[in-house]
Amino acid sequence: MQSMELPLVLFTVLSQAAVGMVLMSAVRGFACHDGSDARNEWMLVAGLMGLGIAASLFHLGHPLEAYRALAHLEKAWLSREVLAAGIFLALAAWAAAMGGGKGALLWGAIVAGLATVLASGMTYAPPAFPALNNALPTVFFLITAVVMGAGFASWFAGIGSQPLLARIFTTALVTGLVVRLAVPCIWLSGSEIMRQSGLAWLGSPLYWVSIAVMAACLGVLWKNRTIPVWLPILALLGELAGRAAFFAETVHTALNIGSPY
Amino acid sequence: MKKHYAFLVDSEKCIGCFTCAMACRNYYHQVEGVIWRQVYPLDEAIYPHRERAFFSLACNHCENPACLNVCPVVAYTKREEDGVVVHHQEKCIGCGNCIRSCPYGAPVYNPVEKRAEKCSFCHERLDASLLPACVQSCPTGALTLVDLATLEPGNEVQFPAGFPKAEKVNPSTRFIMPKVPTLVRR
Repeated sequence: MQSMELPLVLFTVLSQAAVGMVLMSAVRGFACHDGSDARNEWMLVAGLMGLGIAASLFHLGHPLEAYRALAHLEKAWLSREVLAAGIFLALAAWAAAMGGGKGALLWGAIVAGLATVLASGMTYAPPAFPALNNALPTVFFLITAVVMGAGFASWFAGIGSQPLLARIFTTALVTGLVVRLAVPCIWLSGSEIMRQSGLAWLGSPLYWVSIAVMAACLGVLWKNRTIPVWLPILALLGELAGRAAFFAETVHTALNIGSPY
Repeated sequence: MKKHYAFLVDSEKCIGCFTCAMACRNYYHQVEGVIWRQVYPLDEAIYPHRERAFFSLACNHCENPACLNVCPVVAYTKREEDGVVVHHQEKCIGCGNCIRSCPYGAPVYNPVEKRAEKCSFCHERLDASLLPACVQSCPTGALTLVDLATLEPGNEVQFPAGFPKAEKVNPSTRFIMPKVPTLVRR
């Protein structure tokens, strides 16, 4: 087991929740029953991204020099992630100040948000983790964005949008549950490091907490048909547990030097 | 091909004495827990003999280094003249992205400086026409300095069993595998 990287757990989950809320704002706009509390919704979007970025600073040895992380945009996905998250935060804060984001502001936030999720996915898919050196991190992060986005958007959406958000929340939860259950099982038939990663995930209490929370959320939705106010908080706790398992349990290639790969 | 320095690890000659790792430590005085060169015993699944075999490993000074590519503050550079990957610690902000990304675990976190660090190939010694401290100290000649541009093809391998096969980063270290030990029967 490696470090849980709590600042990165908070940054990735909270930033993806913020991006998901903006995506849901656009979806509700297309469905023609827009929310009624746009200012507060955008304030939460900016707050989540701001909190995530602030949390990420605690991961650095020298947080006051964080601004220099923009120096390698031509190659480093981490630099691109910092830039995209910064632009997203600026646009979200602007939208909150304007009392809501529409048109170019909304589309700008969507592009910056999706760029943040993609850059995060590439940052956490390095060659040292064969189990994650692929599109999986991006897939995990997109699922988190949709689950948390639909959940938190339900706090601000009008009555007309609630069934749509409940359907999106349910679909994303089912997809997330299937992907999260299947992935470590598939790793078991991969290379030695992938097999070790699969075993570590399947033996992790954090992983099973995230699975149980997702299943519990689905059970609540099946019974209620709408998203209760407290359900996004429960889903957030499940996502945090799952992300902690992502960072702590995936096996690094260097841990097996001298043994078969 | 341009000049590219590399470590040649001869596991047939290596006796696992850790002198290379100690020489590195004596030369740089890393803080406790920070190790640039490590000696790894080969698992019995790879070398199934009573006699043991070892890999002495530090940074592989890759052709396409993961550390250099992922560093957000450009704290890593690759020297044009000899391919040595240098970490400029004064630029590092301690994000740990290089530590997470290197398939060989070469960069390590210095908890005192709160920045990463790694084997420098003793580039200041190379510039003075001296051998790296680890190479100079090896009592059996198991660890040598080679130039990949002039290395004659022999029985060196790049990805032996027990060494991560990260082809994308193209590590420069080469290995000579241990032979099957001679059995003396009475």
